[in-house]
Amino acid sequence: MKGPLFSTAILLVGVYVFLAFLLPLVTAPLPASLIYLYLAITLSGAMIYQTMSAGGLEAFMGPIYRFLSGEIDGPAKSARLLLLIVFPLLVGWQTYTKLAPSDLPPAENRTIHPAPPGEFVGLANPYPANEQNIQEGKGIYAANCSPCHGPNFDGKGTAAPGFNPPPANFADPGTIAQLQESYLFWRIKKGGVGLPIEGMPWKSAMPRWEHELTDEKIWKVIIGEYDGAGQSPRTWEEEE
Amino acid sequence: MVDRYENMKHWLTSFRTGLCLTLMCVLPVSLAGSVYASDPPPEGAPASVSVRVYLSEGAVPIDDPQSSAWDSVAESEFNLSPQVHWPDRLQEATVKKVKVRGLHDGQNIAIRVEYQDPTQDDADAAALEFMVGDQKAHFAHGQEMLLVEGGPVNIWYWKNETGTATDMSAKGFKTIKPQAQQDVSAKGVWENGTWKVVFSRPLETGDEQDIQINPGIWTSVAFAFWDGKLVDGSVKEKGSQKAVSSWWSFRAEPEPDNSIFGYVVLGLLIAAAFEFFLVRKLRKGQAV
Repeated sequence: MKGPLFSTAILLVGVYVFLAFLLPLVTAPLPASLIYLYLAITLSGAMIYQTMSAGGLEAFMGPIYRFLSGEIDGPAKSARLLLLIVFPLLVGWQTYTKLAPSDLPPAENRTIHPAPPGEFVGLANPYPANEQNIQEGKGIYAANCSPCHGPNFDGKGTAAPGFNPPPANFADPGTIAQLQESYLFWRIKKGGVGLPIEGMPWKSAMPRWEHELTDEKIWKVIIGEYDGAGQSPRTWEEEE
Repeated sequence: MVDRYENMKHWLTSFRTGLCLTLMCVLPVSLAGSVYASDPPPEGAPASVSVRVYLSEGAVPIDDPQSSAWDSVAESEFNLSPQVHWPDRLQEATVKKVKVRGLHDGQNIAIRVEYQDPTQDDADAAALEFMVGDQKAHFAHGQEMLLVEGGPVNIWYWKNETGTATDMSAKGFKTIKPQAQQDVSAKGVWENGTWKVVFSRPLETGDEQDIQINPGIWTSVAFAFWDGKLVDGSVKEKGSQKAVSSWWSFRAEPEPDNSIFGYVVLGLLIAAAFEFFLVRKLRKGQAV
């Protein structure tokens, strides 16, 4: 079975496999809507190419015209009937799924690490990460932070289960390893209520620690946290 | 000239056919996409994310925590934490989970919380919290947020000792107080280490300090429970020492909307008409 129609179908399948399965091996998966858009563009392009000449148009469109108008025999006749029945049903089903009331609450796009206020950008930890400060920081962590963030720095403290969003898992490379110490200083000092609107401060159980811990203790708990979680703070590269 | 005209006709033909085919291809694919999008939540996620208050055909069991009507609706389950957000904190709370069911009849709403508490004590208590109005409120009594203007909360509080509910308001720590207009009722039954407490109220109260519950509109709810057991002469959990949750989604089910089926039939008819005219045109020998 050959012809422009067949090669266009092969092309579409190939593009879909590439976008949906091969591309995610090297980069982030594409959203489904973008894949469909690319497929629609591929189809339009392939059709323009295949129908550039009168012969091409007949080769490409002829079989479709004959199939749809019913000038066919054998199993293709049943396939045509099936298509003519299924297409309106799909449109009906699609209409229903778009309009049917959902029992799921609306999705909330909470920004997990929103931009900090300017006064907290680029602050350097005034305390060195030496053994004494690490131990002191871990002591402050055990007394104040571990009920939620866990003795293993993994967000699985005994007080964690009731909170939504859950306490951060510092061992996850997507949390404190991606952040500078000044960012942690802001988040600990001002707590959940210090978040901007995109961080949904009304949901956060993170205490506003400035009422209970001095700046010195906050800087030291940051040192203890990075050491305990086996992570390093993100730093700007040294300028030459 | 004729050639050029033929070519243009040719292009227009291809374009229109392409449009039709694209429609017919994209629709089933996007349908597959919507099926894919309803996959179950990932493992480890909490069991429930919302409280669904079902529309009841009969009367709502506003004062009966043990009514069989509660068995007819699905429950939501939420984990609880000891209150560690602000002093005085608690390291471990008695109540670890709560099961929640809700019913309304278009006039009144009843919400039943069910939770394990091994002992029945006078100071045992339970509370539901809601945001009031359009502004977001922090789950900890609507405490002040630094970068966002917050709103107040409405708290429905029940205590075993009094056997009644108190309708309360708060906007910030130490601001909680009973309202002038009391709209909430509650009744609790303890049996075999389990409390079942029903809170009820009209959906709308006309009191601007209250949450006004509009069926179909999503809002937020949070929970709190106190174990009033006496330990060494003092109550184990009181004040800020309690089991809590942060906000979860909450909605009273709206009246079923049958107009959806009208739109479905319209969609079917349009698709069938499209097919009919397409095939008729092809049969007449005219290029589409």
